[in-house]
Amino acid sequence: MKRVLPHPEREARPALWRSLEEYAGTPEFVDALEREFPQGAAEWHGGEISRRNFLQLMGGSMALAGISLTGCRRPEAYLVPFTQGVEWTIPGKFLYYATSQPRRNGAMPLIATTSDGRPTKLEGNPLHPISNGGTDTFAQASVLDLYDPNRSRTILAEGKKSDASALAAKLDEIRAAAEAGGGEGLAFLAERVDSPTRDRLLAQLRQKYPNILWAEYEPLGSSEYDAAVAACFGAGVEVVPDFSAADKVLAVDDDFLNASFSGLDQVRGFSARRRISEPGQPMNRLYVAETNYTPTGGMADHRLRIKPSEAGPVLRALGQQIATLTGDGTLAALSAAFPEGQLSADPQWISECAKDLASSPGKSIVVVGKRQPAAVQALGFAINNALGAAGKTLLGMRAEKPQAASVAELSAAMEAGRVKNLFILGGNPVYNAPADLRFGDLLAGVPVSVRLGMYEDETSAVAKWHVPQAHYLESWGDARSSDGTICAVQPMILPLWGGVNELEILNRLAGNPEPIGPQLVRETFAKVAGGGDLEAKWTEFLRQGFLAGTAWPAAVPAFNTGAATSLAAAYRPAPSNGIEVSFTPSSTIDDGRYANNGWLQETPDFATKVTWDNAALVSPATAKSLGLSTGDMVEMSANGRKIEAAALVAPGHADAAVSIALGYGRVNISHVTDSVGFDAYPLRTTQCMAFATGTAVKRTGAKHKFAETQHHQNMEGRDLVREATMQRYADEPTFAQTMGMDGHIPPNNSLFTHPKLDSPEQWGMTVDLSTCTGCNACVVACQAENNVPIVGKDQVSRGRNMAWIRMDRYFAGDENDPEMLSQAIMCQHCENAPCETVCPVNATVHSEDGLNLMAYNRCIGTRYCANNCPWKVRRFNFFDYNQRPLDKLYFGPLAKKGMAESVQMSKNPNVTVRMRGVMEKCTYCIQRIEEAKITHSVQAGPSDKSKVPFPAVKSACQQACPSESIVFGNINDPKSRVAQLKKEPRNYEMLKYLNVSPRTTYLARIKNPNMAMPGADKVGWANGHPHHGGHGAHGAGDNGHDAHGAETHGSPAAHAEEAPSH
Amino acid sequence: MANFFPRWANWIPLKLLLMVMVLGAVVTGGIWYYFTPKYTNVGYMPDQPAPFSHAIHVEQLGMDCRYCHSYVEVAGHSNVPSTQTCMSCHSQIKAQSPKLAAVRASWETGTPVQWVRIHKAPDYVYFNHAVHVNRGVSCYSCHGQINAMPVVYQAQPLSMAWCLECHREPEKFLRPPSEIYNLNWRPASAQEQLAMGAQFKKEWNVNPPVTCGGCHR
Repeated sequence: MKRVLPHPEREARPALWRSLEEYAGTPEFVDALEREFPQGAAEWHGGEISRRNFLQLMGGSMALAGISLTGCRRPEAYLVPFTQGVEWTIPGKFLYYATSQPRRNGAMPLIATTSDGRPTKLEGNPLHPISNGGTDTFAQASVLDLYDPNRSRTILAEGKKSDASALAAKLDEIRAAAEAGGGEGLAFLAERVDSPTRDRLLAQLRQKYPNILWAEYEPLGSSEYDAAVAACFGAGVEVVPDFSAADKVLAVDDDFLNASFSGLDQVRGFSARRRISEPGQPMNRLYVAETNYTPTGGMADHRLRIKPSEAGPVLRALGQQIATLTGDGTLAALSAAFPEGQLSADPQWISECAKDLASSPGKSIVVVGKRQPAAVQALGFAINNALGAAGKTLLGMRAEKPQAASVAELSAAMEAGRVKNLFILGGNPVYNAPADLRFGDLLAGVPVSVRLGMYEDETSAVAKWHVPQAHYLESWGDARSSDGTICAVQPMILPLWGGVNELEILNRLAGNPEPIGPQLVRETFAKVAGGGDLEAKWTEFLRQGFLAGTAWPAAVPAFNTGAATSLAAAYRPAPSNGIEVSFTPSSTIDDGRYANNGWLQETPDFATKVTWDNAALVSPATAKSLGLSTGDMVEMSANGRKIEAAALVAPGHADAAVSIALGYGRVNISHVTDSVGFDAYPLRTTQCMAFATGTAVKRTGAKHKFAETQHHQNMEGRDLVREATMQRYADEPTFAQTMGMDGHIPPNNSLFTHPKLDSPEQWGMTVDLSTCTGCNACVVACQAENNVPIVGKDQVSRGRNMAWIRMDRYFAGDENDPEMLSQAIMCQHCENAPCETVCPVNATVHSEDGLNLMAYNRCIGTRYCANNCPWKVRRFNFFDYNQRPLDKLYFGPLAKKGMAESVQMSKNPNVTVRMRGVMEKCTYCIQRIEEAKITHSVQAGPSDKSKVPFPAVKSACQQACPSESIVFGNINDPKSRVAQLKKEPRNYEMLKYLNVSPRTTYLARIKNPNMAMPGADKVGWANGHPHHGGHGAHGAGDNGHDAHGAETHGSPAAHAEEAPSH
Repeated sequence: MANFFPRWANWIPLKLLLMVMVLGAVVTGGIWYYFTPKYTNVGYMPDQPAPFSHAIHVEQLGMDCRYCHSYVEVAGHSNVPSTQTCMSCHSQIKAQSPKLAAVRASWETGTPVQWVRIHKAPDYVYFNHAVHVNRGVSCYSCHGQINAMPVVYQAQPLSMAWCLECHREPEKFLRPPSEIYNLNWRPASAQEQLAMGAQFKKEWNVNPPVTCGGCHR
């Protein structure tokens, strides 16, 4: 009897959808679905040269190449040993150093992997108290910034090439002037970094020259938050939320689950309480009120769409409710003092949320986005105070930080002509300072301005001097992590292009002798390390990467009611009329500082899946009322300032608001940043840095094309991502394994013969959808580890992006207010791999330890495997992306070949740099597995290998994941974490009916809705409600499934598992 | 009408075809047989910047391989010695020899000696020395009688088929751990080698990879 197993048919309106086109089921979408790659991906579309032309050129150059038969001789290669042995260095072995990346919100502790003196990969430092060994996209990609060939290389004076001695002379001249005038006229504008050495040098400078002006500016800084903390808890106190102690969390306009903008400890704390293994176990609950979809919003159990200005009114309403519930008079007074604003949110949402938060005193917390005005923050702290969060879910620390002026104060001094010598240490204020300050014009009027920067950019063009800045992987330094622990910043390599560190400039201005090596840091270290053997402590500091016991001392935050109330009462919000424009950090390039990083530019945004662009996000309803569709250029104007950007209709966005990411729209910087996205800074003023109210939005009539990846490699909606509520998980623990047609699949076997899986190690992976926020850290980590090339915007729009991990983002439910789910999809390493059976040259085969291997040197590029892959995870190198300039891909042999020397240095030497015409995909980091296997054998030596423990091995994505959602390991070892997770009832295979037995499985997402909330019945049912209860297993030959009716897949075709034989 | 072509001309097409076929077979066979690493690479013996003789250092002086190739047991690469290693002896011995000019120049200027590479696996092959020498494979198996070579040349083809000979039947090549660096050691007989190799293979649990991923990543 022939068995026919058709795929479940698509629904006309899928429950889970990836884009609005899919939701609406447009004909273009259906057409796109049926293609392996989007239209044109596999076809020739020469922009500048026609195919005919190209063949002529090719022929000509081939003939020329033939004349000199250079290819026949074996090229001479050289072995180049060191002249003198280098300490610790073993050729071909990685060396690991502890370092950290200084950030505005505290240092990111890191372990740098160096290969023959070149840092090639960064990992988190698991020894550090705030780190679990995870990282984020920015840390992962920062290694590419080090080797960026577009970095500035020369000192420029008045636009002309200068040198270090001229700079030194200038610095000495400025110092002499400062000594004479007590520092009058000397000003600094620096980035926000907690560096003890910088603080020490600054104190020295202030002591020597009491009149200097030290200002700090971060476009996405936390000055409002800092002001609120200072008012509410007193100066010198810091507060941090402890999510690991929180049962109920409300985040108002706060993307705290993005480690880039909060911290690793916050993600770790939250996900520890989110992870649920057994049915019936408790888990935390997350309420989110936000404007545009963020990873935090995607994780929310209940999400409220609000305009950014509504954060205050939401908290006010919430505060009043909680004040009543808890009887907290302080909060009642403060909420009453807070100006009443417009609030369009459902009052039931707020009252039920308030009840839930108040029902867990000491175990709930409200967090407010740091960009919100100080009064709104104060209201948040008052609510936390009423909830009894202080010392429980809201921890206090006594921190010492030097005073710094704001960029507005500096601008005022510049305008008054009080600044004669200005140092701009990092940052790019001409581009990103608030527009009303006209910083560029003011800077042009400063007699001497010295700018330290990684790139020759907008600020360098105006400043008199430009000095190339050393990357943090090239310089000595120190930085405090968010908990105050002092971390080492160690150079991994000498400055590639003579970069200078800001500490060196400050040191010279202080009149100290030039430092040798880490001398500056060591001097600071000697002061903070306490007594004892300093040398041993220093060595330990460098080895561990941090100085244990230097965290800020804990202090229970004492809420200052009076100061908070007067802050709230003095708050005068701008009238919330018209459309609000919300300025958001870019998920990929932050405030624009990573704009020249191709890895990040090509990483799709979590929610929009747009690469190489930002967009003006509008909700479907607002788009309809404004007559906009995706790609329409719009002009946004407020208070006489205007910007233009392309609109993108974003499901789940708040109505009557537009969100636009900062950092894009640069001109004349480099081919990577130019004409990428739209600059939103010109609309941003000191009045409110978070959003602009009263904006007029109108269509200009022009169109823009986005390079979105959301349609690429579509697997169609077949319950690929699964979720349930806690209640359902308790009632029906196997829901994930029986969802859709998975409960009906008869026992199956494969027609093909397969190699024996007889190795003691059998590799497998699980991805926990309960904790995966879709933050993209794994995507960039994979790119860094596996030498994955970038392809450029044009190629992405043709569907040729190469990233091995695709972060799928699904929406579920109504287009205006859907749920968002993320799922990382990489090669599933099927035991019955469909790709292997169609390869004509055996380039993709199976190994005895369960890996689906890809032998690049065998691949002839038929792409049959990609066609036959149900997961659409195989990537084809259409052009020589590694070797060719991305803007000249169509020039064939006419363009120059070869990658920049510095970029060659960034490659992982243990992974092949793939060439054109070769298929590639996730290898489960086979280089790490092989390294572990080799270490295992070497350790065994001439003895029985099976008696020696197998070394630990982690895949790059697992190592980078800040929420520990990806677990990789030996599924044969019952003690391994991955084997235990695979036994959980939440564990399911995608497309199980295909019988491909993937080694990567997923743990279904569990949600914890509050049933009293409005819309709670929809939460956790992304796959739709089943029409009948549980059903038993169905054996082979179990006919007549029609009786089951439409379940979540809702198609009778799904049940035609057996058809009459012919 | 008279015949323009003589009768034997009828055979020309057939003869031509036959000739082309024979020629084709010879060319194909020739390339098949001779254009292989066994014929193109074996015996490759380039001039080195300094005429270093393994024969003198190992055979006459009795130095161990690991004196210079110091990381062979721990790393994937078997390192070529640094100039410092050479100079630790040659600052005293033959300190003025013209043959050592390149080494002395390197020591004085700090620029490395550029030794010409002989044994080279393709870029997509990840060979690891440590795992071989620690598990009973001698230097001899791949580098031949390198201890006795006055000038180093490639002794084995280093082709994939050649690698697989041993990966499929390691018992033919496994040695006692004490004889890994003794390049003059030979098994008493082929049978003894097989018996001993099979024993090591079983006792040490030797199972060299034969799937692609073992060497290609």
